[in-house]
Amino acid sequence: MAVAERTVRVENRLGIHARPAAEIVKVAARFSCMIQLAKDAQWVNGKSIMGVMTLAAEQGSELTIRAEGDDAQAAVDALAECAGKKWEEW
Amino acid sequence: MKERLLRGVGVSPGIAIGPARFVHWELPRVTRRLVASDRVDAEVARLHEAVDEVRSLLDQLRVHTQERAGAEEAKIFDAQILMLEDPEFLREVEALIHDNQLSAERAFEFKTLEMRALWAQSSSPRLRQRVADLAGVQLRVLNRLLGKSFEHVLQSEGDQPVIVFMRELTPGLMIQFERDRVAGFATEQGTRTAHAAILARSLGIPCVMGLVGAMNRIESGVQVVLDGSHGAVLVAPTPAELDAARETERVRLDIEQRLEADRGAPNVTLDGDAVDIRATVDLPDDIDLALRHGAAGIGLLRTEFLLMGRTGMPSEEEQVAVFERAARAFADFPVVIRSYDLGGDKYPAMFSPEPEPNPFLGWRAIRVSLDEPQFFRIQLRALLRARRHGDIRVMLPLVTAVEELERVKEILAEEREALAEAGVAAAESMPLGVMIETPAAALLVEQISARCDFLSVGTSDLTQYTLAVDRGNARMAERFDPLHPAVVRLLHEIVTAGQRHGIEASVCGLMASDPVSVFLLIGLGYRVFSVATAALPVVGWVVRQLHGTECAECATQVLTASTGREVREHLLKALASRVDLKMLDGGELPGLSLSASL
Repeated sequence: MAVAERTVRVENRLGIHARPAAEIVKVAARFSCMIQLAKDAQWVNGKSIMGVMTLAAEQGSELTIRAEGDDAQAAVDALAECAGKKWEEW
Repeated sequence: MKERLLRGVGVSPGIAIGPARFVHWELPRVTRRLVASDRVDAEVARLHEAVDEVRSLLDQLRVHTQERAGAEEAKIFDAQILMLEDPEFLREVEALIHDNQLSAERAFEFKTLEMRALWAQSSSPRLRQRVADLAGVQLRVLNRLLGKSFEHVLQSEGDQPVIVFMRELTPGLMIQFERDRVAGFATEQGTRTAHAAILARSLGIPCVMGLVGAMNRIESGVQVVLDGSHGAVLVAPTPAELDAARETERVRLDIEQRLEADRGAPNVTLDGDAVDIRATVDLPDDIDLALRHGAAGIGLLRTEFLLMGRTGMPSEEEQVAVFERAARAFADFPVVIRSYDLGGDKYPAMFSPEPEPNPFLGWRAIRVSLDEPQFFRIQLRALLRARRHGDIRVMLPLVTAVEELERVKEILAEEREALAEAGVAAAESMPLGVMIETPAAALLVEQISARCDFLSVGTSDLTQYTLAVDRGNARMAERFDPLHPAVVRLLHEIVTAGQRHGIEASVCGLMASDPVSVFLLIGLGYRVFSVATAALPVVGWVVRQLHGTECAECATQVLTASTGREVREHLLKALASRVDLKMLDGGELPGLSLSASL
């Protein structure tokens, strides 16, 4: 089974708060593979908004994305882009 | 007699009249109930049914909000909808039903409480704020499972629209009230920046928040006048007060229409003097409003909002991004940014200074910046970098000595050099301004003007320090008079010093947002103002009705006045020949004078 992993820095000033978390979960839902996110060794389900919000990843923190399944690489790439994005807000 | 006037924060303008209606919106009690093992699957199905129903209700609210308020406001519901679609969360609730034979409501409550506890302990203030969203989801699903309707709280008896009183208001609840059943909203908690406050403004419903203890002090059903412009609620108004309130609302709407029709007109006096009306920006939201009202740049951007709800100081990169965005929004205009004005309750958690007996005479503003220069240096670097993208200028708060200004210049030069050495692109120079807000600065205005690029008067602090009257003390409210002759004389000295030195002298305090004071300030020679976003249209309109030489004649008279009353009389008399004073009083509650809004 395909496994992919990547670590990104959170660039958004407000961190991964509700709105970016919602975007991440929406992107994750497009893939069939299992997706997990971690900050400081705390792992959560990448398809769970409650989980992603609980990480409360602030600007500058490192977020690890791991996926297992057929579309793992595509999922990790899409999520890395999403998690590392600067959202248009202050 | 009970106090009839309740004070809060006006978050959405306009006057509403009607009976107070208390709405309680609380979590239901869930009793302990186990389900028989053969009923477990049915219980899980019941859970999904309730979740689906609430989800589709939230979807409807989202659409409804989009239609009524706009796409941005509708996003408020996104997080709640996704919570109800969260597969992991729902699986865990299901597991509790399956494994422990808990009822659906008990299992759902258990999981949401667990999550709320986790979030409430978080070090992230943003996550803690989301607890309210989670509680909203919990409330709706539990009510649905318990067969309790909460829609009854939204129905009102009688045919008169009501003023809804709540402890706290969420956007989801607000949007469910029928617009023609609710004349206004009043809450005990919340401020201008609450989601519900933003939504109230978009919907055009008058709203006052922060009415601490209001629901213990009045009774549901009593007639009230709510003034969303001034943050007040008048209880049990007399017929005369009601008439006056209706009249001021009529005038307010009339003014609003006239101002709207006048939008985009150049801010020039009748005798052809151009006046620069810039915006005062407290929060990022203000920028859009300022643009819409055609502000000629930003006259005062307060940087303290960068610290709100956080424990650390904002990084250089973050500040560059914020300042750049402001500069881009006002590409052809000045953007005046005030360096940190920390002090009083505005300390970031990391400073945690000792409480001071006289905070306004204590460690604040430029004093903090010079004593803890590492944060000030980061801010100056960010300003120098952002200035490449627009006409950014920096302004120093609470200067009382020339040495402070000299020290800032040294630091600024050091940081510019450091940036150059590091090969970071930054502006060559930075216009440096001084806020004149103490008698010390006003008396040294010659020496200061010779050493800086512009002056800006902070009128509230200048009044407070000149008159030795605490601006926040309600008992002193009548003594806090920006039109006191001593203050007027200082204003005169400041503007003439600016003229002698050929540098800009502007007014960025509350006086610049008050039409009567603007009349005086123009007469004294000021031509640049930084105005609260809400007051931009009315100040522009007033400027266009004035004659500069008339203002100057009046100011000459005013400078000979011995009392604040004389000053006010001169001004109102002269102003009345140009402007219908009633236009300026629009939106005030009966019994409150014009000067009370200063």
